[in-house]
Amino acid sequence: MTTKFFKLTLFVLFATTSSLFFAACDNNDDDETEQENITTVQVHLVGAGIDQEFEWSDLDGPGGNNPVIDTIVVPAMTGDISSHIHVYDRSKTPEVDITEEIEEESLEHLFTYAITGANVSITYDDTDANGKPLGIKTIWTSLGASTGTIRIILFHEPSNKDNLSDPGGEADFDVTFPVKIQ
Amino acid sequence: MSERFWLLLVVAMLGLAPEIFAQDCHVALRGHLYDADTREPLAYATVRVAETGRGATADENGYYVLPDHCEGASYTVSVTHVACEHFTQVVKLVENQAFDFWLSHVAHLQEITVLERAVAPTPVQASQEVSSSDLAAGQGVNITETMKKLPGVTSINTGATIAKPVIQGLHSNRIALINNQVALESQQWGSEHAPEIDPFTAGKITVLKGAAGVRYGVGAMGGAILIEPDPLRTEAGWGGWVHGGMFSNGRSGVAAGAVDWKKAEGTLGLRFQGTIKRSGNLRTPDYWLGNTGAGEANLSVMAGWQSGRWRHDLSASTFNQKIGILRAAHQGNLTDLMLAIESDTPRNNPNWFTYDIERPYQTVNHQTFQYRTSLRLNEKWKFSGQYSFQYNERKEFDVVRKTSAAADKPQLLFDLWTNQVNLALEHFPIRHWQGGVGVQGLQQKNLVGKGGLIPDYDTYGGAIWAMERWRKYPNPWEFEVGARYDFRHSNVLTTGNLVDVDTTLVFGNVSGTAGAVYHFSKALSLSLHSGYAWRPPHVNELFARGVHFGSGTYEQGRSDLRPEKGWNTNLTLLHQTRRVEASLSVYHNRIRDFIYLEPQEELVLTVRGAFPAYFFEQDNVVLQGLDGGLSVVLAGQLSAEGRVSLLRAYRVTRDSGENSENKTWLPLMPSDRFQYGLKWRFGRDEQTTNTHESFVRLLASTTMEQTRLPQEGLLKPAPETFTVLSLEVVHTFAVGEKTLEIGLNVQNLSNQRYREYLNFFRFYADEPGINAGLRAKLTF
Repeated sequence: MTTKFFKLTLFVLFATTSSLFFAACDNNDDDETEQENITTVQVHLVGAGIDQEFEWSDLDGPGGNNPVIDTIVVPAMTGDISSHIHVYDRSKTPEVDITEEIEEESLEHLFTYAITGANVSITYDDTDANGKPLGIKTIWTSLGASTGTIRIILFHEPSNKDNLSDPGGEADFDVTFPVKIQ
Repeated sequence: MSERFWLLLVVAMLGLAPEIFAQDCHVALRGHLYDADTREPLAYATVRVAETGRGATADENGYYVLPDHCEGASYTVSVTHVACEHFTQVVKLVENQAFDFWLSHVAHLQEITVLERAVAPTPVQASQEVSSSDLAAGQGVNITETMKKLPGVTSINTGATIAKPVIQGLHSNRIALINNQVALESQQWGSEHAPEIDPFTAGKITVLKGAAGVRYGVGAMGGAILIEPDPLRTEAGWGGWVHGGMFSNGRSGVAAGAVDWKKAEGTLGLRFQGTIKRSGNLRTPDYWLGNTGAGEANLSVMAGWQSGRWRHDLSASTFNQKIGILRAAHQGNLTDLMLAIESDTPRNNPNWFTYDIERPYQTVNHQTFQYRTSLRLNEKWKFSGQYSFQYNERKEFDVVRKTSAAADKPQLLFDLWTNQVNLALEHFPIRHWQGGVGVQGLQQKNLVGKGGLIPDYDTYGGAIWAMERWRKYPNPWEFEVGARYDFRHSNVLTTGNLVDVDTTLVFGNVSGTAGAVYHFSKALSLSLHSGYAWRPPHVNELFARGVHFGSGTYEQGRSDLRPEKGWNTNLTLLHQTRRVEASLSVYHNRIRDFIYLEPQEELVLTVRGAFPAYFFEQDNVVLQGLDGGLSVVLAGQLSAEGRVSLLRAYRVTRDSGENSENKTWLPLMPSDRFQYGLKWRFGRDEQTTNTHESFVRLLASTTMEQTRLPQEGLLKPAPETFTVLSLEVVHTFAVGEKTLEIGLNVQNLSNQRYREYLNFFRFYADEPGINAGLRAKLTF
């Protein structure tokens, strides 16, 4: 009994110590961690008289350099402009297209659009796997010349997709583009 | 009590006075008498010295004193206890040395062992020990919880699962945690990084308040917490304990145990200790706190032996923890945060019970290896050496898209390797001075995964210290003086992250300490202690850049921060009698270039929206306050206790002219708090050993609303004053030759709904409601 206990103690001591030195030899591969950084939100408008990409981009992440934000220019009095959103992580090489992940997990995502000042209306042109709004694809209809902003939010794990003004969950991105209808 | 008591061992340092010193015949022979089996003081035993014919009776704490004996002389000391045969032992008297006698129930004569104790006597500095009953009650929770019953000690929390100790307003990098004589090295800069210490390994916890830099280095400018294991077994054979506990809130279970063994011949002693813990979602009075489960598994081994004049100690431990983070506290951006703050109940909250832990969570793994040795060089000098190695790995798992590359990986990873060497040369009293000199070396490597919050670094550090203390018993004065020089050299490098850093940092400075104690009587003493300590800025404070999602703030370091330097003075009055125990401490801590997060006026625009910016700034600050504790025996078995902790912490701004000192309060400082309660002891024979403690204790803690805070950056008003009640019933009794302790502990007895200012998750959810814990500990 006594010798057994002694041997057990020595074994544990040895095992702990060696695991410790094993850990010390571990050279911390950079691939061990992976972060999701959304650096770029792109709005691609295609319609009568327009085929253009507009970007909200902050390549160096929070702080540092200010984000670069395009003004979305939409031709006036035009209907049926289709918009497709692309979300990228351009801090990595090659860049990661997060849009594909969002499409795959459509139930857990929702894009919302809030327009201030500009004479443009936006309707959803896609649904998630349950037939609820998703918002990667939308249809834009513009009226007369005006300026304003459009705020696009991507919600992750929304609790209520029927309430577009407060769907719950948390914001993966929350960007505001200046808009010009001309 | 009819068994015979035998003298088992005499503690510490039977140094012989060299003949070169004139013999001093006004030295007191004094010390404590203990029951070796229970480690409790042995009251009312008689101590007699054959040569002088003088005798004394030990008091209720087992303390005895026989004045006017000659240093270096041999005395035959006999100890007699009620209804026991007397026992004698020859001792050689050394000044300032307490002769502690450990008496055993064991009927056969044991080999007498002399144990070396660290030379350094207890510091003059204000210190407080966690009582053994509080230690036992808090062990199933976490190490911080066990210390909160001490005046001046509070905690800073991140939800209900992560707690860090705060001493007189200071925490994290300003507090040193010394676990089994090794300074804990982990990612302590983060306020959501809890200390990696298993409370079940602690036999004793002492909190040193105020600058303790001379003893414990640059990490101890605000104080130090010493966690010491029980000493290894000194009687041949087996011993140990098993502990089982359950808590209603979180439906948690904890099991811990230790086995001790001492070789029959020789000096080898071993201990094997382990703890496992599991808990599920906690509950407030109204709802579950989704994703607040936790799990823990720890193991440690200790070995100690003597070979000739050498003493060797070896220990290794592993600490492994997984902690769920309140799901509702994970905020995407400021809009989410404001919605969460406005909501009375947590949003996105999985409002049910489960043991499962989902993202966000963190895992921590901490390993320590230590070798310690000491050598008696001669009668006056002792050498000691220590080498320790620590490895700390922390992983943080955030909420991510399930199909992304991040889904099976942590989002943050920190690896920290630390090697430390301490060498000391200490001496026993020479012309009433006792102390030592030492050197310390430290090497540290920190690696952070891609995209981490802080850069990688390599640090080399060194220190040299000297400390002396004067005591000439029974002269009422005691003095202490010490000095230390520390330096740190760090290479800081990060590539591939969003910001590149490549720089070398060098910091060096002195620390100092001086103190005096005046003993009015054995029961009453007044001590004044003043310490100067410093701390180099941490890489986090220099280079951090990013959004802290829990608090919804953008934080940015400043690479030109200077070291903090603190001058801490405290005055402590201690009164201890059989009926009354009182302590009162006032302190003043002036820190130059105190580093803290200052809210900025602008917002930082990120892809998740705009966040309020906080930059690390420094300023001269003052932290001053009062800690008091009182315990009075009201009648017979009934006693009352009360404690108070007051703190005023403000910035001293000078730009307003030379004659006015504008005060602006510092953020995140503990508010005033009071504790008061009643304790009724039962089943205890006052006239014999106080081996077994059985009591009922009702305690109330009132935490005042923090009204002294800066208005800028305060997203939600500080919570209102609240009072929580706790009830504790402990009964200890003998089961054959074993001791069984049963404890019932009810926290938040009235199921009070409250939030705590020093909890970062006060934005989102209430604190946990009623929690009843039942524990049993069998000691064999």
